[in-house]
Amino acid sequence: MLEAGLYFLQQLINGITIGSTYALIAIGYTMVYGIIGMINFAHGEIYMIGTYVAFMAIAGMAMLGIEFLPIIFLGALLASMLVSSSFGWAVERIAYRPLRGGNRLIPLISAIGMSIFLQNYVRLGQGSRDIAMSSQITGGFSIGPTDGFHATLSYMQIIIFVVMLVSMALLTLFISKSRMGRACRAVAQDLKMANLLGIDTNRVIATTFVIGAALAAVAGTLLGMYYGVVNAYVGFIAGLKAFTAAVLGGIGSIPGAMLGGILLGIAESMTAAYFSTEYKDVVSFGLLVLILLFKPTGILGKPEVEKI
Amino acid sequence: MSKKVPFALFCAGLTVILAFPILGLNLEHKGTSLVVTGADNWTLIGVLVAALIVFVTQLLKSQIKATYQAVKPNFGGLIQRLPGEDKRKLISKLVLIALIIAALVLPFFTSRQWPDIATLVLIYVILGLGLNVVVGLAGLLDLGYVAFYAVGAYSYALLSQYFGWSFWACLPIGTLLAATFGLLLGFPVLRLRGDYLAIVTLGFGEIIRILLNNFTSITGGPNGIGNIPKPSLPFIQFEPNFEIVWLEFGRRATDGGVPFHKFFDLPYDSSLKVIVLYLIALALAVITILIIQRLIRMPVGRAWEALREDEIACRSLGLNRTAIKLSAFTIGASFAGFAGSLFAARQGFINPESFIFWESVIILAIVVLGGMGSQIGVMIAAAIVVLLQELTAEFDEYRLLAFGAIMVLMMIWKPQGLLPMKRPHIKLKQE
Amino acid sequence: MKNSFAKKVLGLSALLVAGSAPWVHADIKIAIAGPQTGDVAQYGDMQVIGAEMAVEQINAAGGVNGEKLVAVRYDDACEPKRAVAVANKIVNDGVQFVVGHLCSSSTQPASDVYEDEGILSITPASTNPTITERGYTMIFRTIGLDSHQGPTAAKFIADKIKPSRVAVIHDKQQYGEGIATAVKQTLEGKGVNVVLFEGVNKGDKDFSPLVAKLQKQKIDFVYYGGYHPELGQLLRQTAEKKLDIKFMGPEGVGNKDISQIAGKASEGLIVTLPPAFDLRPENKGLVEAFKAKDQDPSGAFVMTSYAAVKVIAQAIGGAKTQDTEVLQEYIRNNSFDTPMGTIAFDEKGDLKGFDFEIYNWHADGSKTVIN
Repeated sequence: MLEAGLYFLQQLINGITIGSTYALIAIGYTMVYGIIGMINFAHGEIYMIGTYVAFMAIAGMAMLGIEFLPIIFLGALLASMLVSSSFGWAVERIAYRPLRGGNRLIPLISAIGMSIFLQNYVRLGQGSRDIAMSSQITGGFSIGPTDGFHATLSYMQIIIFVVMLVSMALLTLFISKSRMGRACRAVAQDLKMANLLGIDTNRVIATTFVIGAALAAVAGTLLGMYYGVVNAYVGFIAGLKAFTAAVLGGIGSIPGAMLGGILLGIAESMTAAYFSTEYKDVVSFGLLVLILLFKPTGILGKPEVEKI
Repeated sequence: MSKKVPFALFCAGLTVILAFPILGLNLEHKGTSLVVTGADNWTLIGVLVAALIVFVTQLLKSQIKATYQAVKPNFGGLIQRLPGEDKRKLISKLVLIALIIAALVLPFFTSRQWPDIATLVLIYVILGLGLNVVVGLAGLLDLGYVAFYAVGAYSYALLSQYFGWSFWACLPIGTLLAATFGLLLGFPVLRLRGDYLAIVTLGFGEIIRILLNNFTSITGGPNGIGNIPKPSLPFIQFEPNFEIVWLEFGRRATDGGVPFHKFFDLPYDSSLKVIVLYLIALALAVITILIIQRLIRMPVGRAWEALREDEIACRSLGLNRTAIKLSAFTIGASFAGFAGSLFAARQGFINPESFIFWESVIILAIVVLGGMGSQIGVMIAAAIVVLLQELTAEFDEYRLLAFGAIMVLMMIWKPQGLLPMKRPHIKLKQE
Repeated sequence: MKNSFAKKVLGLSALLVAGSAPWVHADIKIAIAGPQTGDVAQYGDMQVIGAEMAVEQINAAGGVNGEKLVAVRYDDACEPKRAVAVANKIVNDGVQFVVGHLCSSSTQPASDVYEDEGILSITPASTNPTITERGYTMIFRTIGLDSHQGPTAAKFIADKIKPSRVAVIHDKQQYGEGIATAVKQTLEGKGVNVVLFEGVNKGDKDFSPLVAKLQKQKIDFVYYGGYHPELGQLLRQTAEKKLDIKFMGPEGVGNKDISQIAGKASEGLIVTLPPAFDLRPENKGLVEAFKAKDQDPSGAFVMTSYAAVKVIAQAIGGAKTQDTEVLQEYIRNNSFDTPMGTIAFDEKGDLKGFDFEIYNWHADGSKTVIN
């Protein structure tokens, strides 16, 4: 009985950890969708670039002899956020802004093209081999008997969860309190009206992309340190999962992205735990289809009123 | 000017940030640790030059634009000088006939690589045209189109493996099965809005692929299914007695027919197999084109477009939204099944690797590049995309990079595609 | 009426094509077909450096029957669809000899074309048993089979390690699942308790649910069928949980990258590998030649690719012809002197007496033989 409980707890921890990173990436999708109603397919690649830059920063600092962990962590975080947000801004400026206001399919296809471009840009620059790095932060707590089955909660898992919560809190604060955040909400509600009222909508949209990219970089840094591996292809599947999370929670809603991410993470780890790892993806996509069928707006999404 | 300089500086700085970490730094493994090394000086110089170019162009943006406007070639005049509408129709008909004759005759005069690649092009033409119905005409974004393609391919492979059925028996079955899948999936999901539809179909595509991979006992799982026979052709024999002989074009008969070269007592020629497959693909592609052309002109085709343009208006005119969408989805899916059976025959071996999400993207790219809704455009785009993959061996490294960049640039400069669709219309003759 | 017309057209076409005789070249072209781009390009590189080195050295020694060998690269990116196109291109270019392909799922459809065209192909890397089980005469391989590798591993597990609870995990790919199934069957035949048989998704990074499962099931030995990126993660995540589980894998995991990914956790991993030909004293000169060009001779497919070229060259030299029909019989009936030692082929085209060796892997990417 105790063992079964601990096993469940362990899988819950695993699910929440992976789900937290889905949530961070999902923010980028959900914010962009909330404001301009497009799926930014290239977002997963920005996460991948974030991981690469974090690796470079960590390796660089190790070569300079910096060993103090918080500095390494913060340095990697800042470097990857800087580069990723630059990519976020540039992608919006080059590939999406000229297309705004036309057929909805066009920016989507441009985004798919951008995703392919970025993936191969990194592949050409950094090679197609896996880049691996040893763990920086090891160890953790152990719950349960030491001789039998015991659940473990590693420090890295705690960091991932805490950083996710802090980022979410900061973002919510920014959106609800700051001037720019208010502008964001206004633009999300009605872009044309916001424009008429003197809000620089281009600037707001660019900010959205930058914030989304920065959070993807946070996820990239965390996951990079957690798994210690990156290659040019990791962005695609992570992006897909995060997008699923965003839709699950209700696309356009920031708490929804968090909820969706964590739910998806838990669903995946429970499938692997009690059924089979090979059906993990089937279950997460199946869940998505079911949610959309019975509650198309997702768990926390608001029903959309058709504007005539 | 004063406002421009900071922005140009900003852009130049951004270029450095975008290019330097990815291109200018290398992550390398030294022993068990990871180290960063700088790339060679040329890369660094390249990054700086790129930044400089960005700086200058941003600074002189308005001047460049003005110069471009001044020297911009005047296409309008060119179009006016083209022959009139009636003549153009005649010319296009002649061109079409010439193309068909060329397509029929040319493979006999070229080396065997070409009919093979042309077969692949034709498979993508069928796929592109099928997806064009869904995306281009009905405006439903389907990102899991490859699932129906897989259904078609696997139904031929499985039926021929387990029951020994021939290509011609499996082709309609594969098509129908794919259509059924389309219908079953479409029924619940089509009430979703565009973007949701995209993601559900994407999920469905992945689910089908994973299931094919996991049901090892039936589908062979990742091992796939091999030795799928090539299609045979019927030949009606009058002497010595009246019967239908199925001719095969391989060295040995595998599908219960008679090898062509033995039947006619000719020396065995292996490229004939490739050519026959190509001709079958050509016939199937032509059938696809004709069917879809008919459909577009039928009420249902008009309804697809009307629905794409304005859903609310359609509903208020009493059109059944679900039925129309469902018909587009099902018909699109059935063509994917059609192409899938053909693909299985060409390949001789299929496994789930051939039906990844990437395939859906390529097919979508074909539809978009060709111009959504435009049939000729889709055909040309299919040829370009397949040939780009096959012919640019020297640029292999950069192929996908260019592919992505072209997709983005096309959307910016020519979002309506290479050859935008022309709506069927009637024009009053002005005397 | 109609059929006589069809007869004429087809007959005419047959004549036309038959008329174009195969191109006669002064050089002997050898196609190197494998993934030169894509995510398994690193294995393609092994194939290219091995085969090109062989061509270079054979030419330096005067070529074959006075003719030079020319290596031509063909990229199939490990995609079955492109493999068929590449095969047709090879036919078209009049190449008679192929070293390739690399991935089993590419070799299989491509070999259909080669068999039909009478093109001699030797794969230096495809280990799937079905490839040579179809009665084809034109395909050979200079590497062992999954169906041998699996039992070799399983026997070692059952006889030497004697674990109490075993998990067999694979990546749901042709290669990985094939070996894993063979291991599982042999283990069960020997009465070893296989508690868990499960697939994971290729490209996955998160194995924590699986690791917890291993812990709960009290697994003490894991056999992994697949490639190094996934096993590396699995090792790493198992080590982080401080579980005492021994791991074993096929040659697909025996790559230096696994030590980069798993770090210390890769110490003590057991791997079945083709014998390390680069460590054979006879090959010292060859290894030096690779090192002089800054190439790594220790990759699993370098020497097998070198050997494949060598077999083709020696067969042409011995049979004094380029007729592949004669050559394939010559190859079946003779033995060849290669860096892999003296090798010979059986009726199916597989190597005779090719044995995988069992190695202990170390955290610094080196390995030692276990006997």
